[in-house]
Amino acid sequence: MSLLESIRVALEGIRANKLRSFLTTLGIIIGIAAVIAVVAIGQGGRAVLMSEMEKVGTNIFAIYPDWQSGEQPSGRSFDLSDVQVLKDKVPGISDLSANSVTMDDVRGSKDKKYSQVWGVSAEYEHIRKLNIKNGHFFSKEDDSLGRRVAVLDQALAEEIFGRSEPVGNKVSIGSTPYLVVGVVAKGDSMLGFSEEARAFIPSRSWTNMFGPYINNLEGSAVSREKVQEAMDQAVKVLERRHRDNKYISYSMEQQMQSANKITGIMTLIIGAIAGISLFVGGIGVMNIMLVSVTERTREIGIRKALGARRKDILTQFLIESVVLCVLGGVIGMILGAGGAYLIAKVAKWPPLVSWWTALLAFTFSAAIGIVFGILPANKAAKMDPIEALRRD
Amino acid sequence: MMIQVSGLNKIYNSGEHPVHALIEVNLEVKAGEFVSVMGPSGSGKSTFMNILGGLDTPTSGSYRLDGIEISSLDDTGMAKVRNRKIGFVFQNFNLLPRMTALRNVEMPMLYAGLNARERVKKATTALERVGLAGRIDHRPNQLSGGQIQRVAIARALVNEPAVLLADEPTGNLDTRSGEEIMAIFQDLNRSGATIVLVTHELDIALHTSRIIHFRDGRLEADEKVENPLDAVEQLKKLGPAHQNSPRSGEISAPGALTEAVPHSQTLSAEQGRKGDAR
Repeated sequence: MSLLESIRVALEGIRANKLRSFLTTLGIIIGIAAVIAVVAIGQGGRAVLMSEMEKVGTNIFAIYPDWQSGEQPSGRSFDLSDVQVLKDKVPGISDLSANSVTMDDVRGSKDKKYSQVWGVSAEYEHIRKLNIKNGHFFSKEDDSLGRRVAVLDQALAEEIFGRSEPVGNKVSIGSTPYLVVGVVAKGDSMLGFSEEARAFIPSRSWTNMFGPYINNLEGSAVSREKVQEAMDQAVKVLERRHRDNKYISYSMEQQMQSANKITGIMTLIIGAIAGISLFVGGIGVMNIMLVSVTERTREIGIRKALGARRKDILTQFLIESVVLCVLGGVIGMILGAGGAYLIAKVAKWPPLVSWWTALLAFTFSAAIGIVFGILPANKAAKMDPIEALRRD
Repeated sequence: MMIQVSGLNKIYNSGEHPVHALIEVNLEVKAGEFVSVMGPSGSGKSTFMNILGGLDTPTSGSYRLDGIEISSLDDTGMAKVRNRKIGFVFQNFNLLPRMTALRNVEMPMLYAGLNARERVKKATTALERVGLAGRIDHRPNQLSGGQIQRVAIARALVNEPAVLLADEPTGNLDTRSGEEIMAIFQDLNRSGATIVLVTHELDIALHTSRIIHFRDGRLEADEKVENPLDAVEQLKKLGPAHQNSPRSGEISAPGALTEAVPHSQTLSAEQGRKGDAR
C-alpha cells in the first residue's frame, strides 16, 4: 500500500473517532506548545540580554589584581601612571580608566546620601558611553590636576538636590567640597548600570582623598576583535611593572559568551522539563493505539485475508500514530508560538520562533509517533488472521 | 489442476492432547469446477478451508494452488497468494463498515499495488458485474444483507483470483437473497471461475457440481451432482420478491461487520423441504 493511501486510511480512522483522537493527542499538543513557548521565550530573553550588553559596549574590558594567585592586594597593584604607560605601549587600547570606589556621605543642597564614590579617569565617559544630561563630564586636565569636580548620576542628583539644579552647585563628599560639573542621565538599560546612586570624581582627586587604592583598570579596545589581544598585552606590561602582582582580565565579550551559555543551559533545562510532558503524551498515544488495535482486530483479519502483509499492517498503524502525533505537533506549534508571542509582547521581547524550532517540533512529534506507535503496530502486524477474523 | 492437496495433516498441539483436525486429506479440483464442502461442525472443514485460503499452514502434506506449493511459503509469500490467487467470501461478509462499497472493493488492489485510477475502474466494473452499479458510494449500513454479500463477492473477484473460496456465504441471508448470491456464483462459474464453497445446507450444496463431505478430520465422501439446481429457476419458483419475502433484498444490516447471527434453523428446514420436493 502506498504512503499516500496509508495516510488517507489513517485520517479516516482519526476522523471516525474525533474526540478520542483529540484527547489522545492532547499530551502532544501541550508538550509541543510548552517546548516551543519555552524555547522562544528563552531565545527572546537571550536576544534582549545580548542587545543590552552590546549597548554597554562589546569591546570593553577590565583588569583586576588576581586575588587567588597572590596575597591580599597590597593596594599597590596599580598606580595612576599605569594608565598612560599602557596607552603608550598597547596599541589595541582605545580608552583606559583607573577606577576606585568607596562609600561615603554625599551632601547636596537638600539632603545627603551614603553613596558610592567612584574615582575614574576622564575617558570613563567614552568607555561606558555615558549620556550626560546636564553640564559635562570632567576633563583630562581636571583628572591630571586632581581638581575637586564631581559628576553625579541622576538618581543621586535628584535625591540630594531635589528639584534644584545641581550643575554649578557644591556637594560635600565626606567633608570635602566638590563642584558639580555634570549629571549622567538615567540609561534605559535593563542591566541596572545606571540605577544606583553614584558620584564620579577624577581618579587623582580620589587617591588624594582616600589613598592610592586603585581597584581596577577599565578600558575599551579599538575593536571587538582586538579586545583579547589588548587585554593580554596590558596584563604583561602590568606584570613587568609590578613584579609581585598577578592580574586577571575580563571582557564584555567573555561575559556575553558566558551569559549566552547560561541562558542556553536554562533553556535546555526548562526545555527538558517540557520534553517530559511530551514523553507522557507519547505514552498516552501508545495506550490509545493499543486500544485501537484491539478494537480493530477484525479489520486487521480482513486486511490480512485480502493480502495485507505484516509490513502493510505495521505501516498502517505506525502511520496512524505518526499522523496523530504530527497533527498534535502542528496544533501545539501554533499554540506555543501564540503563547510565546503574547508573553514576548507583555515582556517587550522580540518573539523568536525560529524555523528550526518549528522543524524540531515537527520531527520530534513524528519521532514520538514512531517510537510509541511501534509496539501497538507490531502487535497488530503479528496477529493471526484466523483468530482475528473470528473475533467480534 | 487448480487445487492439488495430498497427504494433508493438521495437528493442533494447543491443549494437553494433540488434536488431529485433518488426517491424510487428498483432493484435486480442476480449473472451472464448482465444489461444495460439507460436514458437521468439528469435522475439519473450516480448518481445510483456512489452509486452502492460505490463512493457515498444514502440519504435513502438500498443497499446490495454481502450480504453486503453498505449504512452504513464508508470511509475505502467503500474503501474496491470498491477494492474487484467492478471493474470500465470508458468512458474516467482513466489509469495513466505515468505507463505501467502492473503497471496500478497492482494498485487495491496494495491497496489489494498483494505482488509484485503475482501482476505481476495476472496482466499478466488479460492482457492476454483481448488479450494484448504483450502490458504489453506499456504506454497508445503507445496504441489505444480500447487497452486502454482493459487495463482498465483487471484492473477492476484483484481483481475478485463481479460486473463489466462500465460507457459508448464504448463512446469514434469507432464502431469496441466498438464491441471488448462488445465481451470481453459478454465473461466475459458467464464465470459468473455480469456486469452493463451504456450507452445511444440502440445498445450497446442490447448486454446485460436486460435493465433498468431511467427518472427523477425514475426507469421507466425494460425489458428483448430476443435475445441479439452477438458482435462476429457483428464484422464479420463489415468485416475485414482495409476495414470498417482503423484506427480501431489503434487509438492512446495521453493523454488517459485527453481525454474527447464528444460522436460522427454520430457514434450513424450509430449504431442506424444498430440496426433498424436488
